[in-house]
Amino acid sequence: MMTTLLIQALVSGLILGALYGLIGCSLTIIYGTMRIVNFSHGEFVVAGCFAVLMFFSATGLHPLLSIPLVFVAFFLVGMCLYYLFVPRLNRGDDPEVASFLTFYGVSLMAGAILLFFFQADTRSLNYVFTPSVFKIGHVFIPTAHIAALATGIAIIAALTWFLYKTIYGKALRAAIMNRDAIQIVGVNINTLSALAFGLAIAIAASTGVLLALVFPAFGPFSGMDYTLIGFVVIVLGGLGHPIGAIIGGIVFGIAEQVAIVFLPQSLSQAVGFVILIAAITLRPSGLFGKVALR
Amino acid sequence: MSSNRLVWTRTSIWLGFLALLALGLGLLPAYGFSLAFWFYLLLWITLASGLNIMAGFTGYLPFGYVAFYGIGAYAAAVTVKMHGLPIWAGFIAAALAGVVLSLLFARTMVLRGIYFSIVSLALAVICRLLIAAMPEDVAGGSYGIALGFSNPDGAYYAMLALMLATLLTVTWLAQSRLGMALRAIRDDPDTAETVGINIGRVRLKAWVLSAVIASMTGAIEAWYTSIVDTETAFNLLVSTKAVIFAVAGGLGTVIGPVVGTVVMLIVDDLIWQHFPVLNVFLLGLVIVLLMMFLPSGIVGSLIRAKPFLRRILF
Repeated sequence: MMTTLLIQALVSGLILGALYGLIGCSLTIIYGTMRIVNFSHGEFVVAGCFAVLMFFSATGLHPLLSIPLVFVAFFLVGMCLYYLFVPRLNRGDDPEVASFLTFYGVSLMAGAILLFFFQADTRSLNYVFTPSVFKIGHVFIPTAHIAALATGIAIIAALTWFLYKTIYGKALRAAIMNRDAIQIVGVNINTLSALAFGLAIAIAASTGVLLALVFPAFGPFSGMDYTLIGFVVIVLGGLGHPIGAIIGGIVFGIAEQVAIVFLPQSLSQAVGFVILIAAITLRPSGLFGKVALR
Repeated sequence: MSSNRLVWTRTSIWLGFLALLALGLGLLPAYGFSLAFWFYLLLWITLASGLNIMAGFTGYLPFGYVAFYGIGAYAAAVTVKMHGLPIWAGFIAAALAGVVLSLLFARTMVLRGIYFSIVSLALAVICRLLIAAMPEDVAGGSYGIALGFSNPDGAYYAMLALMLATLLTVTWLAQSRLGMALRAIRDDPDTAETVGINIGRVRLKAWVLSAVIASMTGAIEAWYTSIVDTETAFNLLVSTKAVIFAVAGGLGTVIGPVVGTVVMLIVDDLIWQHFPVLNVFLLGLVIVLLMMFLPSGIVGSLIRAKPFLRRILF
């Protein structure tokens, strides 16, 4: 019985972890390329949840088909946000603190807009997969979770290919490593950062689509929670390391789900954070990061 | 005007202003003013100034500053309610709790920038969850603790005293060797170490000082409302508000957090009165505009634009 529960927890931890990883990965693309702390990231994840809800109630098509549409729409939103705020913030003395507060303001505004259009009650996506559950041995896995995991893995694979095989992805990683040097070799950092911002917001919203499949209910107030998870995950994986963030997300997701099996509900929430503290103490630069410390 | 005389002049103006302020605020209860607004004004000035010691002078932005506030509120409530001691014992317990917790968390200061901020936030979440999970006869569990008595006037005067003590400490810090060492660490840690500043010890002093201010504030708030629970005592909004107020006025300045708190509380109040539906949206907009156009805060930007204002602002 216990082993079944444990396997169940491992599986759902893996699924949630992959999605947390995507949130962290997109967050670290922004922080890495432009040292901007996007505190409104979670609001865009939630906006993705609402976007798929609107798509589904308007067209009745399969929710996963909304991803290309959501991706493009939020890519444009991200580009607009970049040109509105970031060049100005980067001219200040302390972009980190200034951007944290600016995007805290954006997060308040985005939350208020979501609340205005969708009210405070939690919504859910009434799409039912057939069959609704898969049974592997003694373990039951909802089809929605498998679909979310598969799509999540596809996004991660596409992103990895983009970052490591295409010239744009390489430029992006180069900008994370050394923002000054890449300008010397002739890359327009402004355009690159705008594209990175668009990409990150698009990934965040697409992750929201998948989260709407996995979590039965969502409301306009959960943005901050996702932002927090995103930051914990990137600190765990090493700042400025997109793929490290995904591993960090999986570690966090599995720890959280396994803890629910053994600990009371309230304490199990703390486990992910305890792992964070332990990881930081043992390996201050994160699992994969290289950061100068003193 | 020599530099010493400049410091002397502006410090005397500021201290004179503080004395008048203390007198005016001290007379408020006697004239029957409603204390709610004023109590929280003092509270936020204290928290923003306490945070400024860490964020402004030392360059560490603790998102989880609320951990100290919450632990102070709980230490006071547990001492008074569970052990039947008088409220001053609660304050001592709160101060001690602040010192102990900040020493426990001191290790996190090897992290810099956003790393430090996020870990500090994670620690605040852990504190909340741990206290909520404790048995009810130890820390009230998830329902919190009701003190069973309240003394708003007493709490108001305690808050006033703490605010004045905090502002005097920050004023002293701004011209002391310790404050100079802290700024040196903030601006260039390597050079600071080269000229013989013991980085670990100096920033630990700032950290403990900052923590004790927050834990005392938490204890006084518990006395004021006579109720403590994990959701409000460890509400992350306490940290964010303190950060926003301090930044709005100008991090690293003495007067900044005071000005920032007053301005932002008035703006908040106006928004609530006139646009109740749009209040959160507008608050967000105000924060965005402030950061876009006055990134070094009101006082910081004034000093930068008109250097002669250094004679009175610092």
